[in-house]
Amino acid sequence: MSNDKPSVDRRKFLTAAAVSGAAAVSAPTGVGSAQAQGVAGFTKPPSAADMEAEIGQPVRIAATMKEEGGRPGSDFMVDVLRAMDIDYVATNPASSCRGLHESINNYAMNKKPELLTAMHEEIATAMAHGYAKVSGKPMGLLFHGTVGIQHAVMAFYNAWCDRAPMLVMSGNHGDAAHRAPGIPTTHAAQDPLAIARDFTKWDDQPGSLQASAESLMRACKIAMTPPYGPVCVSLDAHLQEGVANPSDKLRIPKFTRSAPPQGDSGAVKEAAQMLAAAQNPVIVVDRAARTHAFQGMLVQLAELLGAAVVDQLGRQNFPSRHPLNVTPRARGVIATADVIIGLELNDFWGIVNSYADVAEARQDKRAKADVRLVSINSRDLNLKANYQEFQRFQDVDVAIAADSEATMPALIEAVRAAMNGDMRAAAERRIASHAAATQKQSERFLNVDATYAWDASPISTARLSAELWNVIKDLDWALVSRDVRLSNWPHRIWNFDKPYQYIGDSGGAGQGYGMGAAIGAALAHREHGRFVVNLQGDGDLMYGPGAIWSAVHHKIPLLTVMHNNRAYHQEIMHVQRVGNWRDRGVDRAHIGTTIDNPHVDFATLAKSMGMEGIGPISDPKDLGAAFRRAVQIVKAGEPVLVDVVSQPR
Amino acid sequence: MKTIFTLAFSASLVALTQSSALAADATRGKQVYNKVGCYQCHGYEGQGANTGPRLAPEPMAVEGLSAFLRNAASTTMPPYSEKVLSDADVADIHAYLSTIKKPPAGKSIPLLNNP
Repeated sequence: MSNDKPSVDRRKFLTAAAVSGAAAVSAPTGVGSAQAQGVAGFTKPPSAADMEAEIGQPVRIAATMKEEGGRPGSDFMVDVLRAMDIDYVATNPASSCRGLHESINNYAMNKKPELLTAMHEEIATAMAHGYAKVSGKPMGLLFHGTVGIQHAVMAFYNAWCDRAPMLVMSGNHGDAAHRAPGIPTTHAAQDPLAIARDFTKWDDQPGSLQASAESLMRACKIAMTPPYGPVCVSLDAHLQEGVANPSDKLRIPKFTRSAPPQGDSGAVKEAAQMLAAAQNPVIVVDRAARTHAFQGMLVQLAELLGAAVVDQLGRQNFPSRHPLNVTPRARGVIATADVIIGLELNDFWGIVNSYADVAEARQDKRAKADVRLVSINSRDLNLKANYQEFQRFQDVDVAIAADSEATMPALIEAVRAAMNGDMRAAAERRIASHAAATQKQSERFLNVDATYAWDASPISTARLSAELWNVIKDLDWALVSRDVRLSNWPHRIWNFDKPYQYIGDSGGAGQGYGMGAAIGAALAHREHGRFVVNLQGDGDLMYGPGAIWSAVHHKIPLLTVMHNNRAYHQEIMHVQRVGNWRDRGVDRAHIGTTIDNPHVDFATLAKSMGMEGIGPISDPKDLGAAFRRAVQIVKAGEPVLVDVVSQPR
Repeated sequence: MKTIFTLAFSASLVALTQSSALAADATRGKQVYNKVGCYQCHGYEGQGANTGPRLAPEPMAVEGLSAFLRNAASTTMPPYSEKVLSDADVADIHAYLSTIKKPPAGKSIPLLNNP
């Protein structure tokens, strides 16, 4: 992490220049220094002419203070960020943000917030995305207006779908009469955040410094009210580079987070009675765990009801080895359920219905016809019209538009009150039954399923996962990526039981998320000394390989294991499927889908940016040693990449 | 139409059984297996994944395999007609899958006995 030493001379110079600057804008040669002479306690700063002579080009003394005690507007913005407890701001530098950028460097001295340098706005946004899911609070993002926001928006969509809070700040040159011609005008916009409005919770373009403080505060508050999500504030360059004068009487509002919305007590009671009376209750959970408290509460509810739990793996919701975790056999459990409660589901329809992607697509009901459904979902409080991430409409019997985690204590108490002795006995029997099935399933995973292709090359995803588990199981570890593309082998083998050990996936399935999100997550884990693992897809990394540089530059300990199947594998299967539907075969399905000829040498790619790279490893017998070496590098505080040539899934 | 399909399908099975009995080629079968993309969902050794079930070791009978490939519309499996995968190809793929040895027992693999 950078620890820039303050330059005393520069700081004094800036302060003095700031005080001197009232006349500098209107009379840019020499007047400013004369103005400063009457101010006690300041040495005479260099005049614009002095500076011009020194650096050889026309100079404007930027911070023009009209009054004693005035200061740059963007310094005030830094104070607002501090009041909101923003620790980091990820950025790709840009002229429309230079005022705030400079204030973070020289006023904040790059501490709270600290700048994180990203090679692409999409990477920076992914960093904020991963960071938020581990730290539980937003990272700031500082982007150029127009082109910077355009670069970032796909990653905003991921964050929107995944309910990840982040505070996006962008620059703009809105005043046509005063902005510079050429690129600053090309990059100016009348409504710069319109492009992101469909998938951000709120945005604003404040017209004054006071309004900027209130806007930032409101934005942060909205981002952190469930459902969490990204928010954007356009901070015009004239505000950043303008003056905060004492007579402006600027005030930083108090930052108070809104209490999360809790379910209506009557509806919670009705849902509890339905669950208590169920013969086969099932809990389906997706992006529900906002804090570390949730997992324990879900365990409590499931054990109270003897309910099977299907974890959609949007967060670390439920221990992977808990006897009631029936996720791998979810379809069968759903098919026999009489009551299903969905907690923060993005796709309840897809839980109780099936869709077959065949030539003439089929839709069938998966659940029983008379199944009763309960939904607790904060997403119902904040839907937008255009993008369809809210999925098919699913009618339910009890709909509670509220935050699941906030509602959980009341639900547990209501279920406890609703259960009589017979119900409790039935719950115990269900627990025993589910536990036996889970045990059998776990034994099959380890004793049978994982053994197939054990010595194969390319390396099986089961072998990769088992080798990796062997080196991390005794560490305080966390996985910061989804493992579905490894056939969920980590979730089948590893013991996910701590509330910080898993954070789900991108949400919007937009590529280019993995490495950036892993870096942000690892940054948040770093202060806790956790060992962080990123299972990284090859195609995803190639969207933004510059993320590697950021991990090295900011010294973020992180083990990245490449799941290098040398293809956009999902897409091969799609092309293959259509080719067969049309009876034209799959001989050419590799065209436009594979990442070979040449193979990407990811270890060398990592090395090119200063990250230790190991591999490519094709022989499974070499994996153990490679992982052990990688663990030592991460323990020393550095990121490392191990390139594993792997089976497709 | 259904009768025609059934007859044709039965004839195909007879031909397949004959061809597989005559000259199934495991080496070629492996090449075909990879070329037509079986590995994409089932893995290079037919071990299975969350995208497709296990095919090997001990694959189903060649007749069953063929029936599944030709009539895969009942599943999410993309169907392989004889035009894109001949009976001889199917027999060779089956021969390849039959050569894949049973893995060691999980109990004998220390890594799979970690807590």
